[in-house]
Amino acid sequence: MKTLDQTAREAGGRIVAALAATFRDLDLAEEAWAEACARAAAVWPTAPPLDPAAWLYATARRCAIDMIRRRTVRDRLPPDTPQPEATAEDMLASDARLIPDERLRLIFVCCHPAVAPEARAALTLRLVCGLSVEEIARAFLVAEPAMFQRLTRAKKKIAEAGVSFEVPGPEAWPERLAAVLSTLEVAYARAHEDAAGTGQHAGYAREMLDLTAVLAELLPNEPECLAFAALVRFAEARRPARLDAEGAMVPLSEQDPKLWRRPLILEGEALLRAAARLNRPGPRQLRAALHGVWCVRRALAEPPPWSAALALYDLLLAWREDPFVRINRAVVLAEVAGPAAALAEVDGLDAARLDDFQPFHAVRADLLARLGQRDEALEAYDRALDMAPGPAERRWLIRRRTEL
Amino acid sequence: MQYALLIYENEDLYRAGDGRAMDEIIAAHQALAGELAATGVLKGGSGLKTVDTATTVRKTDGQHALHDGPYAEAREQLGGFYLVEVPDLDAALAIAKRIPLAGDGAVEVRPMIEED
Repeated sequence: MKTLDQTAREAGGRIVAALAATFRDLDLAEEAWAEACARAAAVWPTAPPLDPAAWLYATARRCAIDMIRRRTVRDRLPPDTPQPEATAEDMLASDARLIPDERLRLIFVCCHPAVAPEARAALTLRLVCGLSVEEIARAFLVAEPAMFQRLTRAKKKIAEAGVSFEVPGPEAWPERLAAVLSTLEVAYARAHEDAAGTGQHAGYAREMLDLTAVLAELLPNEPECLAFAALVRFAEARRPARLDAEGAMVPLSEQDPKLWRRPLILEGEALLRAAARLNRPGPRQLRAALHGVWCVRRALAEPPPWSAALALYDLLLAWREDPFVRINRAVVLAEVAGPAAALAEVDGLDAARLDDFQPFHAVRADLLARLGQRDEALEAYDRALDMAPGPAERRWLIRRRTEL
Repeated sequence: MQYALLIYENEDLYRAGDGRAMDEIIAAHQALAGELAATGVLKGGSGLKTVDTATTVRKTDGQHALHDGPYAEAREQLGGFYLVEVPDLDAALAIAKRIPLAGDGAVEVRPMIEED
């Protein structure tokens, strides 16, 4: 039988979403879920349920109803007699498939434009992915009490301001879906940064696969939505190849494609093709394609797709000028046109604005090193290392610096 | 739920020219208000005279003091409000987007405290 932890991880988001959608109350949903988990911990060792997820859902629903009852009579009546523990009635709810999937609704609630942008991703990870406040605080480099307050404030705003629990109509999607996708992108960027996949950021990479699958399934005519789901799959497919034996980061062009997870790549390719068929190009489709051109590589012996990648970067920049994209383009340009051309491009960017952007220094260091400008390269490596990269990238940077 | 839609604009936009901007905006408000009233959404509201007509009563340490002018000096001032009853925030935001403004400006959407 599945353990409580495992069931909570797998079904928690769906159960909390179903409760939130039924009772239109995020706090109540969270409290009832916590109560159901506590009861499960007490009851399961002696009376294992038929279907753990269904048991948790049925129990949480009962808890929620009890809580509402207690709230309405709290001020007028003496305390209730204690409610009976979840029993046979809940045990009969034996099919997890009966739990309605309301996660999309909950995602739209958490990512409502009326919710502060810095709270949206956190709230989604908390309620839909079931991450603890502590985990989220660590991923966003915020102290736990501050994160707790941010979440509390967002939930209060949603409850008090009358944010709807309905999936908005298509006429509202340009605005609402954009808010959802950019929120999930922020969340996924944090998960992806962690190449080692051992840190807290990577902990929810799996949930991001689930969430984007839900979005793609429920909004099959939104190409940018399909493209983002594709991107997450391409990126996660490469996770097994992102570290070498010493735990250092392996750059994309040096990763062994044989280690990539083919099933995820195939899923990503299917999603991206479906997006292209809708014939409404967008920046997320280009970003996903940038990952996709690499994923067709089957072995290190095959030539890397530098020119295809360069063409895609140019399209992306034609969509919107972005100095951060230019940094990534410079890496590709160095292979197509040589490191001197790439360095000229990087040094032509607004250095003051990019000074806090770690890849700016890492990319410059690499280009300078290849051009034999040793002292400047060392300095750039030091700047990059000062900016607290993840352990895998730190090892890689130190190695490159030592090789100089 | 009921919401107050509070309109903040730079009054200079209305002082400029020969007052045509004002006439056009008033007509647009009347059209919107008429439509909202006909569907039972509108619960109240009004335009406000310019802030040079405002008097502020401030209470400090139990004492009242009056001063000539608005609560806060700002480039954009509260110039009017709608009270509407709609199912949720999205519906209130949709109305807020339709409120006519002479130029740049803002509409603050505030849920009203419900009486049980």
